[in-house]
Amino acid sequence: MSELQGHHGPHQLPDLEALAVRDEAGHVELRSPTVGLWREGPAEGHALAPGECIGRIEILGRFARLFAPAGAGGLVVRNEGKERARLPVGYDSPLLSVDPSAASVGAAAAAAADAGPGAGGLVFKAPSSGRFYAKPGPDKDPFVRVGDEITTGQTIAILEVMKTFNRISYGGAGLPARAKVLAILAADGDDVDRGAPLLELESLD
Amino acid sequence: MSGFHRLFVANRGEVAARVARSCDAMGITPVFGVSTADREGPWVREREHVVLGPGRSTSSYLDMERVVQAAVQTGCTALHPGWGFLAENPRFAALCEQHGVTFIGPPAHVMSLMGKKTPAKKAMGEAGLRLIPGSDGVLRDAAHAREVAEATGYPVLLKAESGGGGRGMRVARSDAEIEGAFLDAQAEARAAFGDPRMYLEKLIEGGRHIEIQLMADRYGNVVHVGERDCTVQRNHQKLIEESPAIVLDDEERARTLDAAVRATAEIGYVGAGTMEFLLDHDGTLRFMEMNTRLQVEHCVSEMRSGVDLVAEQIRVAAGHRLSFTQAQIELGGHAIECRINAEDPSQGFRPAPGVLEAWTLPQGEGIRVDTHVEAGYEVPPFYDSLLCKVIAAGKDRNEACDRMIAGLEALECRGVPTTIPMHLAILRSEAFRSNDYDTRAIPGWSSEGGAH
Repeated sequence: MSELQGHHGPHQLPDLEALAVRDEAGHVELRSPTVGLWREGPAEGHALAPGECIGRIEILGRFARLFAPAGAGGLVVRNEGKERARLPVGYDSPLLSVDPSAASVGAAAAAAADAGPGAGGLVFKAPSSGRFYAKPGPDKDPFVRVGDEITTGQTIAILEVMKTFNRISYGGAGLPARAKVLAILAADGDDVDRGAPLLELESLD
Repeated sequence: MSGFHRLFVANRGEVAARVARSCDAMGITPVFGVSTADREGPWVREREHVVLGPGRSTSSYLDMERVVQAAVQTGCTALHPGWGFLAENPRFAALCEQHGVTFIGPPAHVMSLMGKKTPAKKAMGEAGLRLIPGSDGVLRDAAHAREVAEATGYPVLLKAESGGGGRGMRVARSDAEIEGAFLDAQAEARAAFGDPRMYLEKLIEGGRHIEIQLMADRYGNVVHVGERDCTVQRNHQKLIEESPAIVLDDEERARTLDAAVRATAEIGYVGAGTMEFLLDHDGTLRFMEMNTRLQVEHCVSEMRSGVDLVAEQIRVAAGHRLSFTQAQIELGGHAIECRINAEDPSQGFRPAPGVLEAWTLPQGEGIRVDTHVEAGYEVPPFYDSLLCKVIAAGKDRNEACDRMIAGLEALECRGVPTTIPMHLAILRSEAFRSNDYDTRAIPGWSSEGGAH
């Protein structure tokens, strides 16, 4: 609980900005500006917007949010911490490699993915990466079941993003106002990436 | 077996290399904190290290949170601060302890007591050491300084309560100078240390700088490892250190060593420490300050005693008793140390960063060299310019000096100027060899630059 309070409370350190270095391949490497434990970085395949938050760094039990510099965005092609919950980093340690040339492609793909039909029909995708919870509490009923009818604005899950719990509402460009749930594609407690399919749907409009 | 498996080295260069040598001997894995300017440093090659920050030490070696976090996340349970940087910072020592990292040094409160000059003097006076006459504590203002100076007798030295490195100090030779000296020193102290408090001492001119090496454990055992004479200085920077101090008479040496050991025990000191004294014209050693860390010149005492002081510091920090008693310390022969800097002594000791094109070290009986550099090394512009320390030991002072001269002649360094020519001039001078010099001038070397 202390970590949850700490995120916005007195244990929060001032925000930090990552260092950006362009490599030979034309990719931009985002590096740590300090010593600490880095966590919650964006997944590979994520279209990183310039200035976007790229996780948090824990320094002696306190947390600083880490941001990409204003000029650095693109498709995340490598995440050095993807195999670990917390990656110990030093000053100038590589965190992410992003491909700026793929920025527009990535963004367009992501936008399409949010709304567009999946292979077998309509799909509702995760609006950001985080931990997927299908139920409001361990002993509670799930928000939605297969066969349920859902409408725009209805809560379908909770996504834990950087220790904050966000209600995920159904809706989005290209999705019908009313739909039937054909399948739930993420299990309770799964870590999902931004854009990962959560629900397979059939339009009822 | 010390109890530590991984130890964080919170220093650079020769200091880091020295600490690592004892770690290796004890089977402890050292993990180094480095700046970006030092990540290719020879002392971290094929060694575990964490980059702390950019070259400027304020955002790397002096950044307390980065250093402690680096130690924690690399699984180190102990941290050696070396000397310089954070070695005498009680807040840093406390931060280490707070995060489960044993700081290798005295307890923070003892460090804090010794860091403030007048409480340290008071404590040492009560423990039986002789003091330099002067103000009883800090001065209220310039008028108070005048009053105390008159009672003490001119010339006097105004010193900063939180001072060090020669800053925040002014001499007043008469009533006409006291107010200006007080205000100038105070302004400098406020700017340099953020603490404008001043105290005053009788100025002892032409004394000798003598210090005592001490080692203490947690159980009240304190042992001295003899004294060192560090009179050869330039702008308060020591150039040559040696042991024993042959100008000291045996009775005064024995009395002061004994008093220093008692005083160290009395303040609850733990670890390695050094008490600095001024030897006045009457042959009395007067306490100046205590450095709560190991010093650059500790090697001189190691050469005479055969004790590894860094290893002893680590053992004591792990809660062990001192591995020797006073009776087991045998101080033999004479040892002398020259600090070789990348500076041009013919150009007013201008620091000279650059690449070492050639670098060959002396060898031979009684010669020890402590260094972190090698041929091809680039001396970075951010830190002090020490390249190496050469230590020579012999059965007496003459033999040690002769070995040092041979050693320095054999030391080949091309690419950057060094202070070797100055050291050779000092070692060959009549004034140095006959011990006829004091703190006012470098024997065999004129301040205008050159041998004489």
